[in-house]
Amino acid sequence: MDRAQIRKILKSPGKWGQKYSLWVVYFCTGCGIIEIPPVITSRWDAERFGVIPVATPRQANLFLITGYVSLKTLGAIIRTYDQMPDPKYVVGFGSCPINGGMYWDSYNTIKHLDKYIPVDGWISGCMPRPEAIFIAVTHLWTLIDKELANGYKRYKEEYPYYEENQRQVLPHLPKFTGAGET
Amino acid sequence: MTRIDKTTTAAEKSRELEMFFGPQHVGMVGNFGIILTVEGDTVVKARANPGYLHRGFEKLMEYRTYAQNFPLVCRLNVMDPDPNEALYAMAVEDLAGLEVPERAQYIRTIMLELSRMASHLLWMWAYGNMIGFDTFAQWAMGDREYIIDLFETLTGGRIYHTYIWPGGVRRDLPPGFAEKTFEALEHIETMLPDYDNLFFNNRIFADRTKGIAVLDRDEAVALGVTGTNLRATGSRTDVRKDEPYAAYADLDFEVPTMEDGDSYSRAIVIRMEIEESISLIRQALNRIPDGPAWRKTPNPFKWNVPPGETYVKVESARGEAGFYMVSDGSDRPYRAHLRSPSYPTGIIVLEELLKGASLADVGHIMLSLNIAAPEIDR
Amino acid sequence: MIEVEEQQKNKIAANFENGEVTLPRKGRLVVTISKESLCSLLLFLKMDGFEHLSLISCVDWLGEGELELVYHLWSYQKKIHAMVKTRIDRESPHFLSIIPLFRHAQTYEREIYEMFGVRFEGNRRLIPFLLDNWQGAPPMRKDFDLRKYVKEKFDVEERAE
Repeated sequence: MDRAQIRKILKSPGKWGQKYSLWVVYFCTGCGIIEIPPVITSRWDAERFGVIPVATPRQANLFLITGYVSLKTLGAIIRTYDQMPDPKYVVGFGSCPINGGMYWDSYNTIKHLDKYIPVDGWISGCMPRPEAIFIAVTHLWTLIDKELANGYKRYKEEYPYYEENQRQVLPHLPKFTGAGET
Repeated sequence: MTRIDKTTTAAEKSRELEMFFGPQHVGMVGNFGIILTVEGDTVVKARANPGYLHRGFEKLMEYRTYAQNFPLVCRLNVMDPDPNEALYAMAVEDLAGLEVPERAQYIRTIMLELSRMASHLLWMWAYGNMIGFDTFAQWAMGDREYIIDLFETLTGGRIYHTYIWPGGVRRDLPPGFAEKTFEALEHIETMLPDYDNLFFNNRIFADRTKGIAVLDRDEAVALGVTGTNLRATGSRTDVRKDEPYAAYADLDFEVPTMEDGDSYSRAIVIRMEIEESISLIRQALNRIPDGPAWRKTPNPFKWNVPPGETYVKVESARGEAGFYMVSDGSDRPYRAHLRSPSYPTGIIVLEELLKGASLADVGHIMLSLNIAAPEIDR
Repeated sequence: MIEVEEQQKNKIAANFENGEVTLPRKGRLVVTISKESLCSLLLFLKMDGFEHLSLISCVDWLGEGELELVYHLWSYQKKIHAMVKTRIDRESPHFLSIIPLFRHAQTYEREIYEMFGVRFEGNRRLIPFLLDNWQGAPPMRKDFDLRKYVKEKFDVEERAE
């Protein structure tokens, strides 16, 4: 067996653990939050997929951006995302993170979420159904298996791009020392 | 309770701690924040921190035609979307002089009461989640799904219905809808004694919330409080009785009130309203007249509403929701201003009631006021 | 009953000569009055049973160069909703705060200050409310071009108008 094969076998339990315990950080960012209580309670039951809500971002590895993102919320999302430990995944829920959605011409909402934080998957709809969240979770499993869900790595490698976009809409964002240094 | 002395010394100030309750918090429902200044276990000062959900709704409405505004208005308050559709429809009907057939008024009543019940069950989930009583939360969410299924049968959408349209409703009741509704209501009605045994008659709930955050009637009116919060102070006021709209003038219902105005009373009034809603929906379904469900509306691509202004209001799950619309004769509203019941309660009333409260009580005070953050920010 | 509204209209007209009162429909009363007399009219109405302030609106009449403030009052006994309107200058708008009459007017005035730029004298809390670090002009004014602002700030592509 060569080193690549060994590495692949050693990574499988890690991936298996990540996939089947995607813990969502409890942050109701927008109006999509109304479909989260049905998802985490007994009718739709996300726990059979391993998805449970947790109180702090320090214990979470999935960030579900439910609905539109206003500028004030974007600051909070960036701070919450930074607090989550690696590996972490972001899924945009609803059509508003994709292209602005219903509020495409609002002066206070952002139009494309993946300019500001890296996004691994999108769920379209206004309002998406609870089943759509589960389909997204299974897609995320496939991406984790194939090691394509590496938004968190992209964030670190391409941080100047994200920072420039963040600073364009949030001019008061504090400058983080050590940013951009390898 | 600590005495709040205006001349706090440096030593006293150093004992105060500023905490951010929300927006990222397990007990916070919606994207809302409160900045609490606590000293030990007592809240010295509370400042509401809204603005996380501000979309500039009113500006957006000025840039869309009357037909394009129709799918936008229900998204004002995600927890209780139908009263906002009804407000928009009533305002446009008032300005444009459209008549609504009687069958449509009854259907609107049914939708509004179902939305009220769904909002109250969501409140029960939020309350259970906040105080850590998960059984109560899970039951409430499960029962709310019966109502959401009814919405899906009727309108195709679970949450955003885009159903109440100026001139009536978008489609008539499908066959079999009345039977399904009666089944759902019967299920919820049989669950209500279980809810009472579990939570509303629970000694721990009463001990925690009785006597906390008291508002009396005059104080509440002076602070702009309406809806369940005002009814918990003993005042029998309800927009459905004061200025009947839809089919409420023909239906028979009581307005439940409680006397004490504390956190406990506000929760009990919400519980009592669920029974009234069940009775109203049953009456409406039994008495619904035949006829068309909508009137022909003008061509939506060329719809100019005559100039004028109007103010309409409905009783949403949280209180008086109003809509002030000014039209200048063009095909877009000139000014659309939405009055939400959570606006006074979420800012001024919350800050006053939290002053001097214990940190353990902050959660249930905020929830008993039934604040919906998207309504405040619009 | 239309009598209650007529009585109220006569009462207001008797006490305030420069107020124009109209009754658009049952349960509604509209008074247009000069800005100097507005606060005494609000006090008069509050003493007369209009104890609930529903809303304070502001409408931007760009063509006429004026901002219109609309105070919505409701009387629980008479079941009348009164809209008390006045016009103020648009270039440097300022008005008196009605916090001494209705405590929760503070939030409405704060929002009108943020969205339209009207200063309310006596309101000590005219600080940002819904907008966070807002650098532009008051957004609800009619001369604030929404689509142009969004295109510049968020770098979005052309859309069919």
